[in-house]
Amino acid sequence: MTELKKVLKLRTIISTATGMAIATSCYLAGIQVATILVGELAWISILLAGFLCLLSAMCFSELTSLYPTAAGIKLYIQHAFNERTSIIISMFYVVLGVAMVGAESFLLSSVLSGSFQIISPYYDKLLWMLFFILLVMFINFRGVFITGLLQDIMTYAMVAFMIGVSIYTFATHDINFSLAAQSAKFTLGNILQAAGVGVFLYVGFEWVAPLAEETTDYRLIGKGMLWGVGLLSITYAMFIVAMYAGLTQEQLASGTPIPHILFGTNLFGTAGTITFIGMSILASVTSFNSGLLNTSRFSYAMGRDNVLPRIFSKLHPKYATPWVAILALGGFALAISLATLYTGQYLFLIMMAAALECFIYVVAATCVIRLRKKYPEKERSFKIPMGYTIPVFVIIVFTGLLLGIFFDVSRDYAGNELFKNYWVAVVMGAFFLLLTFYTFFVVPMLKQKGDERTKTRVKRRPGKV
Amino acid sequence: MATKQEILDALADYQVQCNDNKRLRKMQRDWSKLIHFNADDTGDKFTMNCVNGEIVSFEAGAVGAPDIIVSAKSEYLCDMFWGDLNPSQKYLQGEIRVKASQEDIVRLDAITMIIWPDA
Repeated sequence: MTELKKVLKLRTIISTATGMAIATSCYLAGIQVATILVGELAWISILLAGFLCLLSAMCFSELTSLYPTAAGIKLYIQHAFNERTSIIISMFYVVLGVAMVGAESFLLSSVLSGSFQIISPYYDKLLWMLFFILLVMFINFRGVFITGLLQDIMTYAMVAFMIGVSIYTFATHDINFSLAAQSAKFTLGNILQAAGVGVFLYVGFEWVAPLAEETTDYRLIGKGMLWGVGLLSITYAMFIVAMYAGLTQEQLASGTPIPHILFGTNLFGTAGTITFIGMSILASVTSFNSGLLNTSRFSYAMGRDNVLPRIFSKLHPKYATPWVAILALGGFALAISLATLYTGQYLFLIMMAAALECFIYVVAATCVIRLRKKYPEKERSFKIPMGYTIPVFVIIVFTGLLLGIFFDVSRDYAGNELFKNYWVAVVMGAFFLLLTFYTFFVVPMLKQKGDERTKTRVKRRPGKV
Repeated sequence: MATKQEILDALADYQVQCNDNKRLRKMQRDWSKLIHFNADDTGDKFTMNCVNGEIVSFEAGAVGAPDIIVSAKSEYLCDMFWGDLNPSQKYLQGEIRVKASQEDIVRLDAITMIIWPDA
């Protein structure tokens, strides 16, 4: 088989899977895990969530080995179920994924406005939000790509920094695990509930699948996902416990959206603030840049396939980038950011993303089972061992975690109720219904228009009518 | 099933259409890639060299280390070069497979979209 001139290495696949997941919102989600359980023992739920994501990563690995393409999610759902289901679920995934970009930009703007003031905290947040979303839109619009080497340097530097800071904190702070284990909050129920939220920490690792087209050995994608989830598990387990130990009770009780900045300041003063702000910008910009990059290319392809209006397939005449898709998705992310700024309910989006991820893992595991039954002979460079055991386990566990999220109540550190999580289910359900309506009523019209265009066009190939 | 000669004829037309399209040349002005096309059903291979958006050569056989590899049935390749097929649709159906970066996949599709917007 002919080799590509440039082939991605395992190192870059791991760094991409890891880098996609590390974002500013993760620190907040980590504190939420610590709040549900006991801070010192948050690592148990984080490792449990990591282990469950690892099983899910095995499902994605098998699916990627079957459909090694950027359009993989649409393809495997289509082959496992049908085209309509694949359109609904893949668009659901994309839309809510972009919503996360909105939440991430809100949190990043909180980091900056909380660290230094230009006008007032509220308007500063608004300014930073606009700045970052427009910056990422501009980067995408100009078609600037992060090279594999740059991705490696950024991700591994971030991971090394987080582990280094954690070790320093463990060495300088007194962390009493046995006392924490006696807490009334340390229950099996809370461990599982915290693990449900902990899944959020790994959101995005599976977005490495499109890189399958830049490798010649598809097994590398699966390996990269597994190593990425493993690396994330260790890094988060250490960092979240360290951050919890490094924050004062007042800081934890304040419900701050920037716990990692306060942690950095507590540890190293102004140098810590600056370093953690830099890390936050790096984590956010890279993760929402790649989020917008993937979703805009996917929307472009959907526009070309007459699933979205044709306008989504417009390319910039100079940079060959899907500018309409970038504009639409960037605008949607901005609207979500503004809504978050207005309501202050950033935790709502984090819960929604965790629930979405659980849902997608259930879908992926179901696809593995259905595709094995439909195409038992089809070549798979990676097949999950032990038959259906792991996919069935993934379906049961993540359905349980999903329901656990929906039936729970989100609280702040002091235990005050923030919102009932069934509202997360209501919003997601409304989105899902909207997309179902779109798929059943609008897509057929777009497809019909496309077919009419094709029919009226005279074939150019000699001998073809 | 399209023969090797049919695909070479299609490539010749594709080259003219691409190189004569000013809008496409402007968009692809900094795009230089060596592309391999593999016909899955016949086993035929083709190489196309694109330099700064201009298709400077094409030939039968797999020559050099490619930046992009496109694999599909010979019929699909032939129809695609004649502009009678929407490559994105086939790509989303898994019937055209591409080994390349996301940017290059969009750029490759852009050729058909700019020359034959109704394909």
